Amino acid sequence: MNRLSLLFLGICGALLVGCGKQSVESKGRLFAASFQTMNNPFFVELNDGIKQVVESHGDRLVTLDAQFNSLKQKGDVADVLQQQPAAVFLNPVNWEGVKGTLIEAKRQNVPVIVVDAPVNDRDLVLCQVASDNVEAGRLACEALAKIKPDAKVVILHLSVNKACIDRVDGFKAEMAKHPGLKLLDVQEAKGTTEGARPVMRDLLGRFPDINAVFPINDPSALGCISAIESAGRAGQVTVVTVDGSQEALRTILAGKLHSSSAQFPRQIGKVAAEKAYDHLAGKPVEKDIKVPVKLITRENAAEFLKGP
Amino acid sequence: MKTLRQLLPLLIAIVLLVAFFAFFVPGGRFLTVSNLLDLTQQISINAILAFGMTLAILIGGIDLSVGAVVALAGTVAVAVLPHAGWAGAAVAGMGTAAAFGLVNGTCAAKTRMPPFIITLATMLVARGTALRFNEGRPLPVPDSETVFLNLGNARLFGVVPVPALIMLGAFALTALLLHRTAFGQHLYAIGGNREAARYVGIPLARRETTVYVLCSLLAGLAGLIHSSQLYSAEPAAGQGFELNAIAAVVVGGTSFTGGIGTMPGTLIGAVIIGILDKGLNQAGVHFSLQYIIKGLVILGAVWLDVRRRK
Repeated sequence: MNRLSLLFLGICGALLVGCGKQSVESKGRLFAASFQTMNNPFFVELNDGIKQVVESHGDRLVTLDAQFNSLKQKGDVADVLQQQPAAVFLNPVNWEGVKGTLIEAKRQNVPVIVVDAPVNDRDLVLCQVASDNVEAGRLACEALAKIKPDAKVVILHLSVNKACIDRVDGFKAEMAKHPGLKLLDVQEAKGTTEGARPVMRDLLGRFPDINAVFPINDPSALGCISAIESAGRAGQVTVVTVDGSQEALRTILAGKLHSSSAQFPRQIGKVAAEKAYDHLAGKPVEKDIKVPVKLITRENAAEFLKGP
Repeated sequence: MKTLRQLLPLLIAIVLLVAFFAFFVPGGRFLTVSNLLDLTQQISINAILAFGMTLAILIGGIDLSVGAVVALAGTVAVAVLPHAGWAGAAVAGMGTAAAFGLVNGTCAAKTRMPPFIITLATMLVARGTALRFNEGRPLPVPDSETVFLNLGNARLFGVVPVPALIMLGAFALTALLLHRTAFGQHLYAIGGNREAARYVGIPLARRETTVYVLCSLLAGLAGLIHSSQLYSAEPAAGQGFELNAIAAVVVGGTSFTGGIGTMPGTLIGAVIIGILDKGLNQAGVHFSLQYIIKGLVILGAVWLDVRRRK
């Protein structure tokens, strides 16, 4: 062995021993959280919410990143199940594919709490905690009706996603209460800024009388705004959306976006963790838990804005 | 004896890793029978892909399409499952995989296109074809399909996972093929020196095509197990599986330039990567640090191997 290889082995050894130690020394009960991805601030905040509650009880949380790989998620959860955790928080990559994992957890009597995205096999899980997406859509429509009771609206949808389906359902249900509102069209726009921009431009060309749009999330709202501006219709088309991201808040303050119904991922995490502790204390837990959303407009945007 | 000596450093690495995690996983929960049986189940898909990848890399090629073929074969199988039963589903899935292998192999053998680019292209075609099913959403396997579901989830005598048995079967077949037949000798010859192999009369095109078909067939088999384990076919699944398989192959001592490598080495490579994944999860290591450690271990293993051969 030359010096270089010794150095290399030394670094590997130190890394392994360092992180091994960290875990052996920690005490308390083990909880695990498995997310479809950690490459999204939404899930990082959600995880922080869980962690805060778990650590305040003197317990510890292991977070696993499935990298959008269902098989990795299955293996990850199987690994922690071997260690008999007190509970598992699960954000499934594939709502069909988690079935095997849920069956295994049930067999070992480990409660599973689903966060954010729903699963098909509801009776295999303790409870599901997610934003109240129907309410988020309803709030958006209400905000629109308040300022433009006779608006002509288009919806930019992402119809493969359950959360977005709920938002549109909520929006349409509220529309029924405002006979002045008229729905011109519903189009698919991929839920992204790049996806929404061309779709909105086409809609602006097709319907010269459009004066409102409901894109189902913040990124597509930003795409809509860009399309509206480049069509020279800035200020004429009201945009209402859902998410409450920091970027959207700044856009609201700039007067380009009317409202965004904010989700609170940290709150989702906290509620999920509290339900786990309720269950462990023997208290009953409801199956479907909706975390409230909040309408953000120009009046209150500043208080939700973090940093500069 | 020679093979054993070659594999010795890898076996020592396994012992060291197991000893390490036995010590650092809280509560002594690493070195239990049920945990190790879980391990055999978890590595089965990667190992099966790695066996095929070993053949491709041995002849100086590569197959980047295996991850997408896993998704496509699984999706096709589950799509025909309600109509054709488990046997029909298996034939459809494996047949689709074989077709891709035939295209890869024919292009590699008959044209001067590099296998890296050929299989990069067929990866995209296979992925896109898989996403045509059910608008890219997962297709559930009906609960009544017990034979199909047993493929990935059952345990023989309630103990040994069926996917692990399939993996051992695939290992036995590929190892015999590579180490005990003239076909295997030809692959070493092609990987060692392509032109020389041609001059001694080895049917290059036929051998090469066969290798890619075998590689795809193994990917198809992995795809069947994958959709069985997940109770559904997932058109978006399998992304990055090819890279994990390549990692197992090179950790197992196969030379990336071809001509050198063994099937037992690849099996051990897959075991090492599986132990690492499992142990780091169970020791509670932060996921960001897991990637770093895994990267360093792959780098270190390959480097030690290269040094030893010098």
